Amino acid sequence: MNRNVPDWWRKGATWLWRAALVLVGISLAMIAFRAPIEAVMGPVQKIVYIHVPSAIVTLLAFGIAFAAAIAYLATKQWIWDAISAASCEVGLVFATVVMISGPLWARSAWNTWWTWEPRLTTFFILWILYAAYQVIRASIRSSSKRTISAVMAIVFFVNLPIVWKSVEWWRGSLHPRSVTMTGEMRQVLLFSMMAWIVFFAAVLERRLQLEWAREAAAREAAARDAAPGGFQPGAPEARRA
Amino acid sequence: MTFLTVARKDLMLYVRDARFLATLGLFSAALVLILSVAFGPIFRDPPLEAAATIWAALFFAGVLGLSRSQDLEAESGGSDALRLTGADPFALYLGKTLANILLLSAVFLLLLPLTAVFFDVGSLKALPALLCVVGLALVGYSAWGTLFAALARGLQARELLLSVLLFPSLVPLWIGAVKLTHALWDGGTIEPVRDWIKVMAVMDILGLALAGWLFESIQEAAE
Repeated sequence: MNRNVPDWWRKGATWLWRAALVLVGISLAMIAFRAPIEAVMGPVQKIVYIHVPSAIVTLLAFGIAFAAAIAYLATKQWIWDAISAASCEVGLVFATVVMISGPLWARSAWNTWWTWEPRLTTFFILWILYAAYQVIRASIRSSSKRTISAVMAIVFFVNLPIVWKSVEWWRGSLHPRSVTMTGEMRQVLLFSMMAWIVFFAAVLERRLQLEWAREAAAREAAARDAAPGGFQPGAPEARRA
Repeated sequence: MTFLTVARKDLMLYVRDARFLATLGLFSAALVLILSVAFGPIFRDPPLEAAATIWAALFFAGVLGLSRSQDLEAESGGSDALRLTGADPFALYLGKTLANILLLSAVFLLLLPLTAVFFDVGSLKALPALLCVVGLALVGYSAWGTLFAALARGLQARELLLSVLLFPSLVPLWIGAVKLTHALWDGGTIEPVRDWIKVMAVMDILGLALAGWLFESIQEAAE
């Protein structure tokens, strides 16, 4: 358990996790037992109840990362960088779920795992960019890490409207423009969306705690090094290290 | 006009570095050659294949120019000297972008006859419209490219990371350039695909606007 976060936060996080697990459990049960089997595609169509909520959460995560990045550039407070980085990372996981579940559905609906149609292509580009964000952020060791990460989170966000509008802008798109469902199918989809959003919030909170712990460790190390007798570059023990 | 001074300085350094210019020219010409061999010897749709080839070669070769424009500042404390002038960071960015546009325009003028000969495409009548398409594409490419090159400055494996950032971001611009060039070489008019002009113009404006907003932060991070 992270000792750096306040008590009220820890308790809230525990409840958030409980709620997320219960909601995701109910959502999976509803997908399995309540959602009717679609007449043309059969059980494979149920992938939609995972695919669409994951896509919504991806957009939400990258949107949060974008807003937090702007806040970081404006205030230079580490917490905004932590939120932005955590949101980018969790968003990438959900984007990967979209990238895996999409072809599984497409194989049945379009008779191909992958086709270079606008929504798929633009989403793949989005995935590459946010994966590059992780690589670049991990490779920066200097103090500029936070600023560069914030700039990337802002610049990459520009692709989200392109992904969203791609099915309208480019002709010949196979991907549905929107999901139109009624009755039990609609209920299950909306419940799944809610469950995945709560689950995302819980994962984001846990990832944020990791950033919190890292920041606390970095401050402790800096304070130790600054103290008399602390770590001095060039000292014998430093050279041995 | 600070940005014109910066552009002039970069261009003078490019011109003095014959080895860099030769490498850039040979690399881009080699790309056209490789792609024409890959598509040929019997071309299915020469205007389309030629358009894809010339833009692929230009975009790939452009990475060399973008990296070089940042190297110029890293050498002999150039970036520190520029900062000491107190010039507006956006003016520095605009100067570098303009220099990159002109450098890539020169590369395009080298590749155009090569592509025309290899693929047997192009007409003088379509040339003015083609140059407008080239202008639109190179403004966007240089606007985004200079921004990303500044971002990647000082990182390990910079050229690799620059490519990873740049090419996915520029896909709408690249598709637009290929489609418009294809239309011009195929039918002599851009009417069937004129919507792509809007997409490219939006990409150009977006790149410049983002740079106007973020370039100062990038410069601070590089300090």
